[in-house]
Amino acid sequence: MNVSVSGLTFSYGRRRVLDDVSFEAGGGELLCVLGPNGVGKSTLFGCILGLLAPSGGGVLVDGTPVEKIPPRELARKLAFVPQSHAPTFNYTVFDMVLMGTTARVGGISSPGAEQTRVAADSIERVGISHLAERGYMRISGGERQLTLIARALAQQADVIIMDEPTANLDYGNQLRVLKCVKDLVRRGLTVIQSTHNPDHAFIFADRVLALYGGRVAAFGEPASVISEELISSLYGVRVLIRRGENGLPRCEPIV
Amino acid sequence: MTGGRGGREGARERESGARRRFTLTVVCLFALVILGILLSLTLGRYPMSPGQILQALRERFLDAAGGLLNRLFGTRLPQAGSGGALTEQMLAIFFNVRLPRVLLACLVGCCLSAAGASYQGVFQNPMASPDILGASSGAAVGAALAILLELDARMVMLFAFGASLLTIAVVMLVSGTARGNKLLRIVLAGIMISSLCNAGTSFIKLVADPNNILPEITYWLMGSLAKARPENLSFAVVPMAIGLAPLILLRWRLNILTLSDDEARTMGVNVGLVRAAVIVCATLVTAASVSVSGLVGWVGLVVPHLARRLVGSNYRHLMPASMLTGALFLLIVDNVSRNLLLTEIPLGILTAVVGAPFFIWLITRKRDTI
Repeated sequence: MNVSVSGLTFSYGRRRVLDDVSFEAGGGELLCVLGPNGVGKSTLFGCILGLLAPSGGGVLVDGTPVEKIPPRELARKLAFVPQSHAPTFNYTVFDMVLMGTTARVGGISSPGAEQTRVAADSIERVGISHLAERGYMRISGGERQLTLIARALAQQADVIIMDEPTANLDYGNQLRVLKCVKDLVRRGLTVIQSTHNPDHAFIFADRVLALYGGRVAAFGEPASVISEELISSLYGVRVLIRRGENGLPRCEPIV
Repeated sequence: MTGGRGGREGARERESGARRRFTLTVVCLFALVILGILLSLTLGRYPMSPGQILQALRERFLDAAGGLLNRLFGTRLPQAGSGGALTEQMLAIFFNVRLPRVLLACLVGCCLSAAGASYQGVFQNPMASPDILGASSGAAVGAALAILLELDARMVMLFAFGASLLTIAVVMLVSGTARGNKLLRIVLAGIMISSLCNAGTSFIKLVADPNNILPEITYWLMGSLAKARPENLSFAVVPMAIGLAPLILLRWRLNILTLSDDEARTMGVNVGLVRAAVIVCATLVTAASVSVSGLVGWVGLVVPHLARRLVGSNYRHLMPASMLTGALFLLIVDNVSRNLLLTEIPLGILTAVVGAPFFIWLITRKRDTI
């Protein structure tokens, strides 16, 4: 399973948000998309998921243009984890996850025993079996994010796209969610996720795509791509990149 | 790993537990509806015993079929209780007035609740009710016009039904050309068009003859099943069945529609198509209900929330539970409407009197920790 983006250009009216973005992801890796707010990370994901029609270039999923794939088939290849949000109704965590299996259920039927098993497995894989019958409204932000990840797993897609899975989470929950994502990648899933935090990219990412001004500022392994210059041009702040006790590089802000 | 497996088994056990609870709830509700129907049939100005009712029903419906069965398979159908036969006059009352009224109360309650639950889902709004798009206001202006023109009861029903569907067609047309958030503009178009309809109804009331026409319009607007006859039942049951079937079949997909559009699409659901189908069907059953009952508020808003308390938010369970609860609710309210006082109390007044405090209780009650 492979997602290939080539020459992708997208404009909202006159404002060009993405300009000639090209990269590939696949084969069980964790790709981090880095960039400041409003740089077009969500727009990029919208284009990959076929929700937005690009004005130039295109996205291939396993060699097929994404707009040519029917929604149900696409849902079996690509899953999406939105930022955690409060739903209108208080579904149980189990029902929320079970909804992920919809792409594998006939148009007018409900999930059966097989889908129930898949949902239970997905919940177990992210380690929240104890929450299965709790209401989604009554759990913490980190638990919600894990529920949405379990829902994406229940979709049984090979590629999962996550829009800032650690946004609005406290420090511990951020690391728990990222560890869970890293585990999934180790078992063969491909994950494309956006993040603000370069340290997360150092620790967890296999490759990094840095976006700036709608263009690809850098693409490659985190250690070779993330530099003090890159951070300063992306975020407008100065940092020192040092190797920590654990041998991984990390950013130290200069204040 | 073993611990994890235990967790998975546990999750599956809990899941089947939830299903057992749902099955039990639905069986209980269904039994209550049947019991309620039988009990309601005995109530009225001419009390009839359950034995008499069963006997009357058996004579009318089972004798033809039962006789055939007896002859074909040699079965012996049980005899009805020892109530003594009903007079001709009571039989006429029973079949032409009481039976259609009781059945319509169930059907209207069932449809308004199903429509309310559906609208709440597609508009992602727990405050949505069947009249959110103006189906009721449209029906009202149609019925008022028919009454003004002194058409017969049958035409009043047809006018109400037609005007209701027409109103929603206009709402969808207007919202299709408007800009901005799709859900918001449908709801806004609904508010606009129903306020236009209300203006029309007010104008008709203004010009109507205050001695005989105006009271009739006013009475229709308050909602009542007093004029329910077999022909109303046979008219309404067709669009109701046509509308309810897809709502039942699409009930799992309704869950996905309560999420954001982008989420729903990435989960493989054709959002536009499913949403349009649900709106059309919910409107159809609302129009059919309102055309025979007049304006009956609150049912479509309160009952889905009550059903959520009983079986949870999952539409797979919520839809059948809402339909049964709604049937039971309106059946009970209609019994009060026709039996409490010597004169009928309009349904709309009672549903508001019962519904509003009930809703306050629902929203202030300490939430269950499910």
